[in-house]
Amino acid sequence: MLAFRLLWRNWRSGEVKILAIALMLAVAVVSAISVFTDRLEAALIDESAAFLGANRIVESSQSIPGEWQQSAAEQFDVRQATTVEFLSMVFSDETMNMASVKAVSEGYPLLGNIELSDRPFAVDPEDITIAEGIPGPGEAWLDSRLLPLLEAQLGDTVQVGDKELRATRVLISEPDRGGGMSMVSPRLIMNAQDLPATKVIQPGSRVEYNWLLAGESGEIDSLIEWLQTQTTEHQEIEDLQSEQEQLANALDRGTRFLLLAGIVGVLLAGVAIAIAAQHFASRHVDQVALMKSLGASARRVRTVYLLQLLLLAAFASVAGLLVGEVIQRAVSATLSSLFPVALGGASVGAYGVGVLTGFVCLVFFALPPLWHLPTIPPLKILRREMAVRHLRTGMQGAFGLGAVLLLILIYSQDWWLTLSVFFSLIGIISIAAVLAWWMLRLGRQLGMHAGSIWRLALASLQRKPGQSTMQILVFATAIMLLLSMTNIRTSLIDDWELTLPEDAPNHIFLNIAPHERESISAILQQNGIPQDDFSPMLRARLTHINGEEPSEEMRERNGSLRRELNLTWSEELPSDNEIVRGEWWDQARINDEQALGGMSVEQEVAERMGLELGDVLTFSIGGLSVDVVVENFRTVDRNTFEWYFFIAAPGVLEDYSPVYRTDVFLAPDQKSVVNQVLLAHPTVMVFEFDKILQQIRSIIDQVSSGVELVLWLVIAGGALVLVAAVNASMGNRLQEAGLLRALGSRRKLIIGSVWTEFSVLGLFAGLLAVFGSEILLMSVQRWVLDVPMQPHYELWALGILIGTISIGLLGVISCRRVVTAAPAVVLREVEG
Amino acid sequence: MIEAKNLTKKVQTSEGELVILDDVSLQVSDGDSLAIIGASGSGKSTLLGILAGLDVPTSGSVRLNGFELTDMDEEGRAKVRADNVGFVFQSFQLLPGLSALENVMMPLELHGHGDAREKSEAFLGRVGLSARMHHYPKQLSGGEQQRVAIARAFASEPKILFADEPTGNLDSATGLKVIDLLFDLNKEQGTTLVLVTHEDRLAKRCRHQLELEAGRVVVPAVRAAVN
Ligand SMILES: Nc1ncnc2c1ncn2[C@@H]1O[C@H](COP(=O)(O)OP(=O)(O)OP(=O)(O)O)[C@@H](O)[C@H]1O
Ligand SMILES: [Mg+2]
Repeated sequence: MLAFRLLWRNWRSGEVKILAIALMLAVAVVSAISVFTDRLEAALIDESAAFLGANRIVESSQSIPGEWQQSAAEQFDVRQATTVEFLSMVFSDETMNMASVKAVSEGYPLLGNIELSDRPFAVDPEDITIAEGIPGPGEAWLDSRLLPLLEAQLGDTVQVGDKELRATRVLISEPDRGGGMSMVSPRLIMNAQDLPATKVIQPGSRVEYNWLLAGESGEIDSLIEWLQTQTTEHQEIEDLQSEQEQLANALDRGTRFLLLAGIVGVLLAGVAIAIAAQHFASRHVDQVALMKSLGASARRVRTVYLLQLLLLAAFASVAGLLVGEVIQRAVSATLSSLFPVALGGASVGAYGVGVLTGFVCLVFFALPPLWHLPTIPPLKILRREMAVRHLRTGMQGAFGLGAVLLLILIYSQDWWLTLSVFFSLIGIISIAAVLAWWMLRLGRQLGMHAGSIWRLALASLQRKPGQSTMQILVFATAIMLLLSMTNIRTSLIDDWELTLPEDAPNHIFLNIAPHERESISAILQQNGIPQDDFSPMLRARLTHINGEEPSEEMRERNGSLRRELNLTWSEELPSDNEIVRGEWWDQARINDEQALGGMSVEQEVAERMGLELGDVLTFSIGGLSVDVVVENFRTVDRNTFEWYFFIAAPGVLEDYSPVYRTDVFLAPDQKSVVNQVLLAHPTVMVFEFDKILQQIRSIIDQVSSGVELVLWLVIAGGALVLVAAVNASMGNRLQEAGLLRALGSRRKLIIGSVWTEFSVLGLFAGLLAVFGSEILLMSVQRWVLDVPMQPHYELWALGILIGTISIGLLGVISCRRVVTAAPAVVLREVEG
Repeated sequence: MIEAKNLTKKVQTSEGELVILDDVSLQVSDGDSLAIIGASGSGKSTLLGILAGLDVPTSGSVRLNGFELTDMDEEGRAKVRADNVGFVFQSFQLLPGLSALENVMMPLELHGHGDAREKSEAFLGRVGLSARMHHYPKQLSGGEQQRVAIARAFASEPKILFADEPTGNLDSATGLKVIDLLFDLNKEQGTTLVLVTHEDRLAKRCRHQLELEAGRVVVPAVRAAVN
């Protein structure tokens, strides 16, 4: 096979290697990213299942209609189970305590595990076993802390309503402990068959019915679609997104970054491919002319070259897939040894995206520079000086941009993102081209007054302004992308660490009476647990807006109008909040006894309720009414656990007896503190976030490592572009330098001028890169990552240094043969 | 058999129309040899290109082994070249990335010969470069490179060999060797030779000479007394 043999021979030349490596890199970057995110997503679905105990939960205030369950069983391939949750007094022989009872049906939990023990507050994995079913009829599993609260032991009888149950196991954890009442009171799990006998569920009692669903995502989705036509205002469908906003957000940002980095990596590889292809084409003009003079038709030439390219692409793709797989596996292997989260398997599609990328790169970046090869006239063999008609540079650029457009679209399937990235790219490139041109001109003016090395270097840049501009652009692009990616990665990971420090509070004690504060502080102190201040909290209902009761439709839309709200007051604006309209407290108004008290409202809630500054809100607190006036709107940081929709000015709510909360961090071996507090203060409620936080953190760590990895691939892409660009211009440079040496220039002069020339190129590129990355970073901060915009001064120095030194070095290293070899050898090689 | 009638070649330049060839006619029979001579810029290379079907005349016609080149499109001419023609050029035209052997193999492989390697080795031996087969052009001297080019031209056993200044870059001793090689092979294979040259020595070895001056034939092809 001729194409194969030719490819084999061409392999010896640098540009084919670069072409292959660049292609391989593109495939590797994309397949590693897509496979990794694919697996991460699969893992997330599993995790979410672990949070929910199912893929979806239909929450209802009424029992789930039997015909739904029947339809689900008949028409869809899903598994189902139900749970009924309610608060009830539980009695032991000695005493009684409020418990959050969950009556579960066979099959619960559909996903994830229930952890049981025979020992309360067990933390040692050896003491913990995984439940193989649900409690049998007449049995109950009790939260650790419920046992001491009831002064009971395993084996004792406890009573729920009219039904006596035997406490057989200690409940350590259950998957769907997500929210609601379960967090407040200790849990008791019983079999749903015993539920009627308890007689606790009466008309009007507050009960939450959950319908758990699990199955293939397609089946689940179509069932949910059908359900949405059936559900009423009593039902709500929960998935991970609604349950775990924080996790979903982190993941979303992470995958967006990976996507962005992937595009950048491919773009860099694409540039390297284009440069290498161009170089390849220029070296093959003679070969094609020769082939044609020997009677090869244009079609033959096209076939031979196309086949070579396809072969190259095939090999590079396979290699890329392998490299991508190795990297991706390495990352997930280190991860799974560190974190308990198991990554799922990847779909074939994820690998397909990698291969597709390779071919898109080939067609859009490599083919255009090669397109003219078959049209080279055979007469070129006789008339060397004949011009070759290339596809115009503009046209090649258009193809490259087309590829970028296509690839972003393939990866993101988001037109808006695609177009915005695309047009920013065009904008940046055109501004940069103008700037580069202008810098070159400036350089010449400066160079006229400089020493001989400088004159030589600048003259050499000036001689081919088009090529120099192009090189500056390419170098600048590479440096710019490196700078931006490094920076985005850092700010992304910092942002996560900031929102989730290792010792972030993972337990919240609520409903603390004023006189209990001291004793709780004492318990915490004894155990060496640092504690935040107690913050006041009031349960209130929003009853009137500007003296009017909210309409039924408005209630529908606003959860805040249906349920009790937590109010607090504060002198200071919470540090992670931001005022968007109005002012934080006006001191004059606070001092004015006559004026209505001020209220700060979270902006999204305000928007949904249609509130304006100056509106009067009436809250009902423990049967008393209080009017407040809206003074400002504010954003909150939902990544923390402590945020309020409504914050009053100081002095407004102090007369209503508040309860207090405090947030603490408890290490796993400090869990029993919860029990101590609850034993001493039975009315205190506790929210436990430790498991969830741990899981969130492990997922975020995975994404971070993915981000890290991709960054390295992007850096490899950037380096490749630099090497490709320098390699492509080497022929001319060697010739020039060889001539200079033949004419008697000293080595130092030549090395100096090469060094200067490349450093100047690098300096200009670095300047441009700094400019470009600032624009890019700010837009990414603003529109993609949704974090505040700020300049990055550290990049300025870094960009210029990287540009000048690395490109200067690269130039000298690539050109070193010019000075080490004898001039005759250099000249001869160049001619050949 | 080459037959050219009333060839003219005109090109448009910025200074107006330029006549490169003006009414050139010639005929070369099979196995014969023709030297095209003339001053630099007289149109020799242009004529050679047209005769070989690499270029088309503005008017006139060329018949090459019975094929009317001027009636054909580039694809057709490529086919004729593939079946009939070989080249040797002044600037050697070896591909720098290929070894001597690979350079010789290239046309054979292009035409799908199964025994490309054996044949190429044989021809490289014939031009005295057996020991240098795996060297790259840049490792060979000018004369050696030209011998590789000749091996390459003859390896595909063309019926007609076109050569543009085959000795132009060589010293006279090396040139002589190359000339000998050309004519030996010409005799062995019965190849028709058409070559452009400055060198009297070379021109005299050809059975016919044709001299161009500013695109016109000054001395019609005559039988020269060879040896
Ligand atoms: N495409 C073209 N456009 C403009 N001028 C051309 C073109 N092709 C040939 N010429 C001119 O025609 C003239 C003849 O060219 P040609 O290469 O045939 O000369 P030559 O006899 O081979 O010269 P030399 O001995 O120097 O190789 C030259 O002056 C050349 O510049
Ligand atoms: Mg010529």
